[in-house]
Amino acid sequence: MRSSLVRQALILAALALVPGLGQAIYFRDRVSWRSPIPASEMVTVTQARAWGENAIWIDARPDEEFARDHVPGALSLNEDRWNELLPQFLAAWSPEKKVVVYCGSEGCNASREVARRLRKEAQLPNVFVIEGGWEEWLKTRK
Amino acid sequence: MRTQIFAVTLSIVICVTAHAELKWEETAVELHPAPSDKEAVGHFKYQNTGSKPVRFKSVHTSCGCTAAQSQKEEVPPGEKGEITATFKIGDRTGTQVKTVTVQTDDPTNVTTVLTLKAVIPQELEINPTFVFWGKGEAPNAKTIVVHAGKDFSVKQLKVASSTPDFQTKVEQTGKDQFKIDVQPRETDRIIAATLTIQPEDSSKTFYATARVTNAPAIQ
Repeated sequence: MRSSLVRQALILAALALVPGLGQAIYFRDRVSWRSPIPASEMVTVTQARAWGENAIWIDARPDEEFARDHVPGALSLNEDRWNELLPQFLAAWSPEKKVVVYCGSEGCNASREVARRLRKEAQLPNVFVIEGGWEEWLKTRK
Repeated sequence: MRTQIFAVTLSIVICVTAHAELKWEETAVELHPAPSDKEAVGHFKYQNTGSKPVRFKSVHTSCGCTAAQSQKEEVPPGEKGEITATFKIGDRTGTQVKTVTVQTDDPTNVTTVLTLKAVIPQELEINPTFVFWGKGEAPNAKTIVVHAGKDFSVKQLKVASSTPDFQTKVEQTGKDQFKIDVQPRETDRIIAATLTIQPEDSSKTFYATARVTNAPAIQ
């Protein structure tokens, strides 16, 4: 009786794998919408705060969200107006400073994209992405 | 043996009958905007193939740069429609993948993720877009390498500095390839300039930044 139940369970599990395998084969060339980023380039709000004056905070959210509220002292740098905002950020940048980038929440990708472009195109070192973004900063603000 | 046959048959019956009522023509769209385009628009078409109306509960995008709109709140049986996703290109480059998450009251297909992939043509690749010197560092020239992107050709490049504090010299190093030597007149004070890079026969302008910082350089 028990072995029959195990067999049935295995058959059902195998059937459940069929659509999963189909999706894996069909979507194998589809890229993820999240830019991959090594864990070493992610920091928590607490870690970034501990850097104090040695860090420049970058807000990668759209202009309207930055205008509504942002981390005190943060500079706006988003991809909507990258060419216009980048020189303003570079004027404040200094080689010994760390750059911490945030966007709206854990699910957003803008901070990763901005961090990637700062590393790859401007070739800046010490660029980090804040885990959880603005939402996480709000939780720890109190 | 009979139990096994029953289990297999039941699984097949469940798989066959449990189909989504809202059927999407495609859930992934790839767009190739022109270099001058300001936005890219994707159309995700659907049809309610079920026997009951389907109601949209929410339509969320993965990025503030993308706006999604459904034509109607409720889709009667047999009706067709589409969700339009408008991606604002701004100063973005390369391949951009954005998603639209659609939630309906269709119990067999509550959440559908639509993917909009926009391949933004890159006319010029500039590496790096920022050169800097530490205060007091020898004012030697630093090089920016420029080459035409895939499917583009650049015969001539004009470069101008926003201030006379930096001198620039352009040299063609190969087909569609150039190097720009940037040199500050001095490094004893903090100076900065925006370098305007203009390919011949192009309406688009590209930028790089040169700066003398107040800290020792680490380049």
